[in-house]
Amino acid sequence: MPAFAPGLVHTPVTPFARDGAIDFALYGRLIDFQLANGAQALALPMHAGESVSLTDRERRRLIEFAIAHVQGRAPVIAHVSDAGTATAAALARHAREAGAAAVVVTTPYYWTPPPAMAIEHFAQIGAAAEIPLFIYNAPDEMQGSRVTVDFCSMLIARLPSFAGVVDLSLDWQFMIELMTRAPELKPGFRLISGTELFVSCAAIGAIDMFAPLAGVAPKLVHELYTLCRAQKLFEARPVQEQLAALRQAVKPAGVAALKAAMRAMDRDCGEPRAPLLPLNPARRQRLVSEIDAIAALWSEPRGW
Amino acid sequence: MQSPVTPLKADFSLDLPTFERLLDFHVRTGAPAISWPHHKGESLNLTIDERKLFAEAAVRVVNGRVPVTIHVSGLAVEDTMELARHAQHIGADGILAITPYFWNPSLEAIEAYFVRLCGVIELPVLSYNSPSYLAGIEITGELMSHLIDRLPNFVGVKEASFNSEKFLEISRAALALRPDFAMLTGVEYLLPSVPLGGVGSYSAAGSICPNLCGALFEACLRGDWPRARELQSKVSWLWLLFRDQYPSSLKGGMVMMGRPVGPTRAPLPTATPERQAHIRNELERLGILDSEPYGW
Repeated sequence: MPAFAPGLVHTPVTPFARDGAIDFALYGRLIDFQLANGAQALALPMHAGESVSLTDRERRRLIEFAIAHVQGRAPVIAHVSDAGTATAAALARHAREAGAAAVVVTTPYYWTPPPAMAIEHFAQIGAAAEIPLFIYNAPDEMQGSRVTVDFCSMLIARLPSFAGVVDLSLDWQFMIELMTRAPELKPGFRLISGTELFVSCAAIGAIDMFAPLAGVAPKLVHELYTLCRAQKLFEARPVQEQLAALRQAVKPAGVAALKAAMRAMDRDCGEPRAPLLPLNPARRQRLVSEIDAIAALWSEPRGW
Repeated sequence: MQSPVTPLKADFSLDLPTFERLLDFHVRTGAPAISWPHHKGESLNLTIDERKLFAEAAVRVVNGRVPVTIHVSGLAVEDTMELARHAQHIGADGILAITPYFWNPSLEAIEAYFVRLCGVIELPVLSYNSPSYLAGIEITGELMSHLIDRLPNFVGVKEASFNSEKFLEISRAALALRPDFAMLTGVEYLLPSVPLGGVGSYSAAGSICPNLCGALFEACLRGDWPRARELQSKVSWLWLLFRDQYPSSLKGGMVMMGRPVGPTRAPLPTATPERQAHIRNELERLGILDSEPYGW
């Protein structure tokens, strides 16, 4: 299997119309915007794209739509996490048939299986997918569930298509140990930054980054990515601090805040689906003020 | 910066001559500063009188060659205050204090604590943020801003979350208000912290491999990232090795480097001969036995 190089990966939100249905026309527009503003690949629907609030049928339709719409301009990574192994494996098989370049998967939702069963979970999804599989390691989003380097080593031995970890643990101890051990077991194994906190991760050896904030601040995200790829890490610090400020403003309210921030940039993608609630007017106003205070965002594109 | 372990005799009493040799070893092998007694120095297993005695020894032996800071955190805040006054009295260059133990203090309580501590002495005060060892209790960016605003002698943090987001939250808040605020990492995670404005770290492995630790710091300051990655990988491997039964594994490793410092006080275990042999194998595999000083 040839190595798959994700690069700068935008993770778009999923726009919903007022009646709650996926607004595919707007989604197409958003994908075009992301591709025109620095995306080298797309990963969807990530948690930022409300994957867990989509029905199985919608998830498949979304992947098919995105790949058809992209028309080969960039690879599409399909997020196929689910609680049940067979359900996730079926999504993975579908992703490959639809033309996805890779799949990305979390530990199972809700269940906390022992390591041997979690290995089996990923191995079965990987076998169904056939294309490269990345583990999404996001303990804050997954009630503390995380993978260890020992776990990754076992999975490398079990699943040849296991290509890397998309990291949101942000844990230096884990990342450095991973990049010390995993590439020795599997040359080309990748540590991928799961968000725009990239400087430390790039110092440790990551050359790929998932970018949930790229719909809001694509220029800043691209600048951070480019500087870190060139290993200009000291130069990247001011850009990193601006993006950390944006992340800190958006993070507490999650997708609702991300969508509010999209609207503040005149790229309205609607509100999140239940059970998430839209921001109330006071919080929305506070978020807009916080975003307005980040000077680096003033030169970001407004509208489509 | 080096924070020496606390040498003990076979009967677990303090071993002052070996402590003096160890301090001198750290200064001679390039430590830019000395700080004692961190948790690695078994601070909480020492009496207040023992802490004072060795603090005095540290200031006397180092004798101004490099700055000496004293870690004053005790289970009782009143002990902390006393140790802080003592540190100032004996001529230490600063103190270090963690957020209060055990009580899961609120942010308001942490603020009140540092305000009081910075008021009882005039020395520079370094804070110590260690959420993973203290049930998530940590100094937020907002609290850091308050403290810097209020306290002229609040000069830095030993940051031990080892997490990009937490480091950036504190560094953004602190460096915006006080550009020379010292962002220090708890152990040698220099590769991920120096490009974010980190100016150094305390050292876990410095009594084993001072050359390696110094070379990593130099490579990071130079921005030689490929070299720094190679060195960081080794140093981090050692941290994972020593983190298991810290600091008894470290004391066990020092035996293998010809610098024995005795046992570790209970409830911590003392490294068994088997554990020492395992550590020796790892040190050999990493090339440490050939590239680092043996003996004092």
